[in-house]
Amino acid sequence: MPTKTTNNMENIIRKYCIIKPHKVIVDGKVEFSDPENTEYGAFMKSIYKHYEVKYPKYFKMDNLCKVAFLASEIILQGNEQIKELDPGKVGVILQNSHSSFDTDSKYNDTIKDKSNYFPSPAVFVYTLPNVMIGEICIRNKFQGENTCFIAKEFDTEFISEYVTGLLDSDKIDACVTGWADYIDGEYCAMMFLVEKSKENIKDNISFKPELLNQLIK
Amino acid sequence: MNKIYTIADNIITSLGFTSQENFSALKAGKSGIAKTSDPKITQAPLQVSQVNSERLNSDFSELGNPEDYTRLEKMMILSINNALAQTEIDPSKEDTLFVFSSVKGNIDLIEDENHPFDKDRINLWAISDSVCNFFNSKVKPIFISNACISGVTAINTGAQYLKNQKYKHVIVCGGDVISEFTPSGFQSFKAVSENPCKPFDANRDGITLGEGVGTIILSTDKNLVKEENPVIFRGGANTNDANHISGPSRTGDGLYYAIRNTLNEAGKSDTMIDYISGHGTATPYNDEMESKAIKWAELDHVPVNSLKSYWGHTLGAAGLIECIAGIHSIKENCLIKTLGYSEHGVSEPINIIKEFKETEVRNFLKTASGFGGSNAAAYFSELNAD
Repeated sequence: MPTKTTNNMENIIRKYCIIKPHKVIVDGKVEFSDPENTEYGAFMKSIYKHYEVKYPKYFKMDNLCKVAFLASEIILQGNEQIKELDPGKVGVILQNSHSSFDTDSKYNDTIKDKSNYFPSPAVFVYTLPNVMIGEICIRNKFQGENTCFIAKEFDTEFISEYVTGLLDSDKIDACVTGWADYIDGEYCAMMFLVEKSKENIKDNISFKPELLNQLIK
Repeated sequence: MNKIYTIADNIITSLGFTSQENFSALKAGKSGIAKTSDPKITQAPLQVSQVNSERLNSDFSELGNPEDYTRLEKMMILSINNALAQTEIDPSKEDTLFVFSSVKGNIDLIEDENHPFDKDRINLWAISDSVCNFFNSKVKPIFISNACISGVTAINTGAQYLKNQKYKHVIVCGGDVISEFTPSGFQSFKAVSENPCKPFDANRDGITLGEGVGTIILSTDKNLVKEENPVIFRGGANTNDANHISGPSRTGDGLYYAIRNTLNEAGKSDTMIDYISGHGTATPYNDEMESKAIKWAELDHVPVNSLKSYWGHTLGAAGLIECIAGIHSIKENCLIKTLGYSEHGVSEPINIIKEFKETEVRNFLKTASGFGGSNAAAYFSELNAD
């Protein structure tokens, strides 16, 4: 178990969620799985229904945005206090390995055959990895710092250092942060809701790389 | 607080392979945009700004084997190498961080099924691995892909790592190449101009795409500063419109917040800014939104230009090369005109630069906006200005 902190000056993880084949882990517990729907699209839809997400725009999203979006929805459920903050003070900082390569390939399929050439703006718009951040911002009206970093693997040390820098310099008061990746049917989202700790709560998990590493094991 | 000095820079575009070549062309009002019918890029004739491939390969062959690197990597290595030659910084040392920005990276590989590279080379992190290996850097690089604001975000991110004193020097390098992928996508949006783009003009009808790379070296080491009054990075911020993934905000709120947060961080409380380097993609919506954000920030009196009509929209390079041009505008005390602008075409009366002008320039604000609702701004000034 991660070490708990009682230091009220720290940035804390309010809630975290991991979505990977074929389960949803919330705050360390497997909260949802669906053995009957293990194919990616079906499993995502099953999560969407289970958590009663009501957001028709979800169905337009590409594979990468879907898993990132659902993980963000889950960590924000029960944390309505975030919506009361200044929207300009809530950031979304994510990292990813394969960029939007899944959709890039799909888009490329629409232009490579010159006798069957049908580039679509609805597909093209998802050929950018930071659009997953845009989707989370639009859904929640978050307008703070937002950056999509690329690394081969989730770099917990980098993400915690960067986001801590934004929180400590008062650029933001809260942040949806973590990792989301999709490639060839393989996927993983690890999303954390991080806030400046205002009260001394015994169960607070401080936002530190060594703790992040334990949480995502 | 420690100062963040701009130490060296380089620009590689259709207008040349050094910052000087590029800035001289801007001063002369010369655009690098030309019509192409290259079937590898377009089905129908297209206005585009391209880097000279022959010169790229011949210049690169002095550094390494051109066949071992992708087009973008060659441009990045050449650009960083040229910037480093202006300094005494050893990029292999642990006190130097590399920050990269690119929107589509080695996207030309996706269209060429017979390319000679490993299949992983399509990944953005493979680019930073390849470039860092070339310079023997062992420090884990940072890679940013934030659509059209990537270059400005990369500068802001690099500066944060100098502020917290984790590194002494940061090499920020960003770029993108043109293949069929990006032009066809923007064409499907009906966002590509038939003629070279006309930022802020009444007859603007979309973007012109371009390719290129920019490199800027930032440092907190005063000993590396050669000028008496160097240009320093003062502040920067990113925000999101939270409005639409492919259309900008109607009110300019997100960009206004980015400008406000940037000037706050810079400790700039007045509106005495000598120059705004705008994003100015020349799409109807972007330029209109920008005019609103500039007005909202009470900067409508400040001379503003867009350089997209010289270089095209170079995506991951744009924010970087436009900041570098801003730095040279300060150094050479001049303002570059917005090529293609003749009749005011945005609702706010912002002060678009119509003619090249020699005048004192001591500071500038850079703005950028992009898909995903992202906005960014950065503020630079002379050391002894405000």
